[in-house]
Amino acid sequence: METIRNYLETMFARLPITFEVQKAKNELGQMMEDKYTELIKDGKTENEAVGIVISEFGNLDELAEELGISSFVIQGNQKAAAGIRSVALSEVKDYLHDRTRAAYTVALGVLLCIISCCGYLLDVSWNWRGAVYATCFMFLMIAAAIGLFMFSGFVMGKWKFLKQKGCSVDFATAEYVHNRRESFRVTFAMMITIGVILCILSVLPVVIVTSLFSWRSGLGVVLMFVFIGIGVFLLVAAGNMNAGFSTILSLNKSDTMGGSFVPSQKQVRYNNNVISQIMSVYWPTVTCIYLCWSFLSFDWHITWIVWVIAAVVQQLIRAIW
Amino acid sequence: MSSISSDIIRGYNDTMILYLLWDAPSYGYEISKRIRSLSDEKYLIKETTLYSAFTRLEKNGFVESFSENATISGKRRTYYRITDKGRQYYREKCAEWTLTKEVVEKFIKEDGGI
Repeated sequence: METIRNYLETMFARLPITFEVQKAKNELGQMMEDKYTELIKDGKTENEAVGIVISEFGNLDELAEELGISSFVIQGNQKAAAGIRSVALSEVKDYLHDRTRAAYTVALGVLLCIISCCGYLLDVSWNWRGAVYATCFMFLMIAAAIGLFMFSGFVMGKWKFLKQKGCSVDFATAEYVHNRRESFRVTFAMMITIGVILCILSVLPVVIVTSLFSWRSGLGVVLMFVFIGIGVFLLVAAGNMNAGFSTILSLNKSDTMGGSFVPSQKQVRYNNNVISQIMSVYWPTVTCIYLCWSFLSFDWHITWIVWVIAAVVQQLIRAIW
Repeated sequence: MSSISSDIIRGYNDTMILYLLWDAPSYGYEISKRIRSLSDEKYLIKETTLYSAFTRLEKNGFVESFSENATISGKRRTYYRITDKGRQYYREKCAEWTLTKEVVEKFIKEDGGI
């Protein structure tokens, strides 16, 4: 019975508290309870009874008009008429699955890029004269990273339509994604926090190794890159997974039931058309500048500043346009 | 084994409910149970469909709802009672169905087109 009550609570959780909604919930709860009691009396197991009751419950969309939430459903029909695609729950589950995998793939790629220079640092600090191996290591890492980026690009390619075509999700799907995101919240917070802490602490190995074993200072830098790498890995993975939930939840316009899940979600829009064109290639360009500068000068110890500057510049552009 | 088309039957949920309320008031689960047994388990009405029919009927003044404690369990339930307007509406629906059946029947081959 607890399961049924939870199910009902979940179905109604996001609806506005009005007299009609309250009444519907009570009434439906009553019917489900009656049915459940009877099924148990007929000798069904608890699981069977719960399964039957939930499968015969129906669809809340059917009640939209009675509950005064019809704007959601009617809009849905208009959307269908306007060629707007409704994304099914199974598709959304697939999407979230792919998105999670892509999040880890991309994060791993970034991690490999960050530690790709470690070969050189070890080589220099131990005087192995293994520049060839170090170069090989670096290119292997970068090749692997690019492979990972491309792989995730291909995997996510089939979901491009979510961004391009107008899509919408129904109430139950939005509810499902919302719950998934709620249960991910703590993990997300942990990943971001640990990621940031690792990035901040990344200077510690440099300081410690340099002061204790100054002849091996390269090792400190290697450790710094490993710290940053893992930190960034966590940040990228967490950010990407969270973005997946937001993508689905923001499919519906904010004036619909499903859309109300992300009231704080604000899409960055540039008023100036030229700027918005430029901004669409902003981060790839920054990456390009970073890699070019780094490989040409081999000043890896300083080139990371590109990212900081780029982030500041992006915020400035957002503030101005 | 063919299954029932929910589009077609939807227009007659109201009729079934009014039929079941004709003699005595009843409540949600009992009505769904009786629809199921009267249809020889061929039609299972979903809770949301039933509730949506109740609110529609009540809004149109075909039924009235009232709260009462159930005789056996003592649980408080919403009961529905048919009104005179509801009886009138039921008669109209019956006439409508007779006509519909008559017309559609003309296009149904006796052997089912086998």
